[in-house]
Amino acid sequence: MYGFEALTFNIHGGYLEAIVRGHRAGLLTTADYNNLCQCENLDDIKMHLSATKYGSYLQNEPSPLHTTTIVEKCTLKLVDDYKHMLCQATEPMSTFLEYIRYGHMIDNVVLIVTGTLHERDVQELIEKCHPLGMFDSIATLAVAQNMRELYRLVLVDTPLAPYFSECLTSEDLDDMNIEIMRNTLYKAYLEDFYKFCQKLGGATSEIMSDLLAFEADRRAVNITINSIGTELTREDRKKLYSNFGLLYPYGHEELAICEDIDQVRGVMEKYPPYQAIFSKMSYGESQMLDKAFYEEEVRRLCLAFEQQFHYAVFFAYMRLREQEIRNLMWISECVAQNQKSRIHDSVVYMF
Amino acid sequence: MSGDEGIEIYEEGEEIMDVSNEAEAKTEFEKGKGDENVLQFLDSLDEYLTLMDSVNSKLREGWFDLASARHSMGTLRINSTLLDLKYHPAASTLQVTEQEVPRFALSKWASKGGSGKEKHFSTDADSEMGSPRSPQLRHRGVFEEKSSAKDETVLAADEEIKKERAKSLSVFGGLVSPKLRGAQLSFETALETLVEIANMRSSMLSAFEGITKK
Repeated sequence: MYGFEALTFNIHGGYLEAIVRGHRAGLLTTADYNNLCQCENLDDIKMHLSATKYGSYLQNEPSPLHTTTIVEKCTLKLVDDYKHMLCQATEPMSTFLEYIRYGHMIDNVVLIVTGTLHERDVQELIEKCHPLGMFDSIATLAVAQNMRELYRLVLVDTPLAPYFSECLTSEDLDDMNIEIMRNTLYKAYLEDFYKFCQKLGGATSEIMSDLLAFEADRRAVNITINSIGTELTREDRKKLYSNFGLLYPYGHEELAICEDIDQVRGVMEKYPPYQAIFSKMSYGESQMLDKAFYEEEVRRLCLAFEQQFHYAVFFAYMRLREQEIRNLMWISECVAQNQKSRIHDSVVYMF
Repeated sequence: MSGDEGIEIYEEGEEIMDVSNEAEAKTEFEKGKGDENVLQFLDSLDEYLTLMDSVNSKLREGWFDLASARHSMGTLRINSTLLDLKYHPAASTLQVTEQEVPRFALSKWASKGGSGKEKHFSTDADSEMGSPRSPQLRHRGVFEEKSSAKDETVLAADEEIKKERAKSLSVFGGLVSPKLRGAQLSFETALETLVEIANMRSSMLSAFEGITKK
């Protein structure tokens, strides 16, 4: 029953909740970002990061640094934190933490399949995979010719197997089919995660429902905008939207027929939480939409820490770290390209 | 006798004067040609520097848009390991015409598969269709029909180009961010500018050769 988690949560989850709140305190602040924005080159960024939690991960990297190196090393910190929490977790928290990885597994599967289609070396592709999305038989993905083989040979023994029921065709894998596969898998994953959180009940269910609904709505908007002017039909586009969220089902009906960004704006402005996001942009503009969505996501993730005795803090921490890594990547790119005046176009401050 | 000699001397003098007038006229003509070459060189140099600034700015914009796209879509979706290593025909080709002054022409989005239509977008102004210099008789009614037929052809060509652009971006996935499309357009414009720079350099070198020739 909701409200009585305080009696029992700490038995199994108390230690890890304390750990994750400690990690949350290590996230970069506005002062840190202001210092980073003043850097002249990537070595300066490395020097400023040496005083943060990323210090030990970057200290042995030789100059000249590259932006991808900074992103890779900072991601290792995220992975280490996650693995420490996972190995200490018991059920159902361990299943909850596993769900956080499935999105990265889907991205890795698509990377390997796409790279193989383009005749790239499998080892080269595996090096680029996200460490949180790795699984044992990932290299075997390279032998599959269509989705049925992909499932039968490799993915049937992975946690992604249940998500393939809507993807099983014998059509050869090409760029558009792979994109449809990616979005269909992610849709199935989000819906499964949503149902799992609902089963957990309590504060976890309430907070995670809000966060996952926002994720589903944001994906619907991104799919719509990215598919404008492509060969993706309206019916196919609608099939990629998740079956939950604020926009489900009427918003999805309207988004499916949008042909430009202003029509998307017209649909989204009917929903008060998204009206504020679109009000920050001028008509015809989509450049700032990503930043506006990220800012709203960060606001909701930070609110998750205001309540105790639930699992959503783990999800929130992972997402905040990923946003922090995105910020660091952006700052590094702007410094490397000598475009420091554009740094604030995409940096999202958290605290 | 002395009168004949005088006439001869006079005629010789006239010939000498004619020759010296011719030499003067020739010198004036060459001087004029030299000034023309200098002007042409300076004009080409000015335009060359303007084009260099333009290409630097476009490339900067393109790289920034690419970084924005990577930020939006994620590093797993936009990286060099996704580039296609399979054999495929070039989307754009460059033709070099070996003339007195070499000229470069860019053919963008020439698709050898698919519909088999080639779209030539030469940066050489003389070869543009519908150039005002090409004589055309206007006929009322017929001209309007030709104009709507031309519009349809242009629309069809635009559609083909959109498809070719989408095809080249499909290495990063079927649904890509508008920022990636923006980056593609920036690099495309930079490529056109580079060909213009090559043509301008060719004109510059030709004008410089004209100045230094004796």
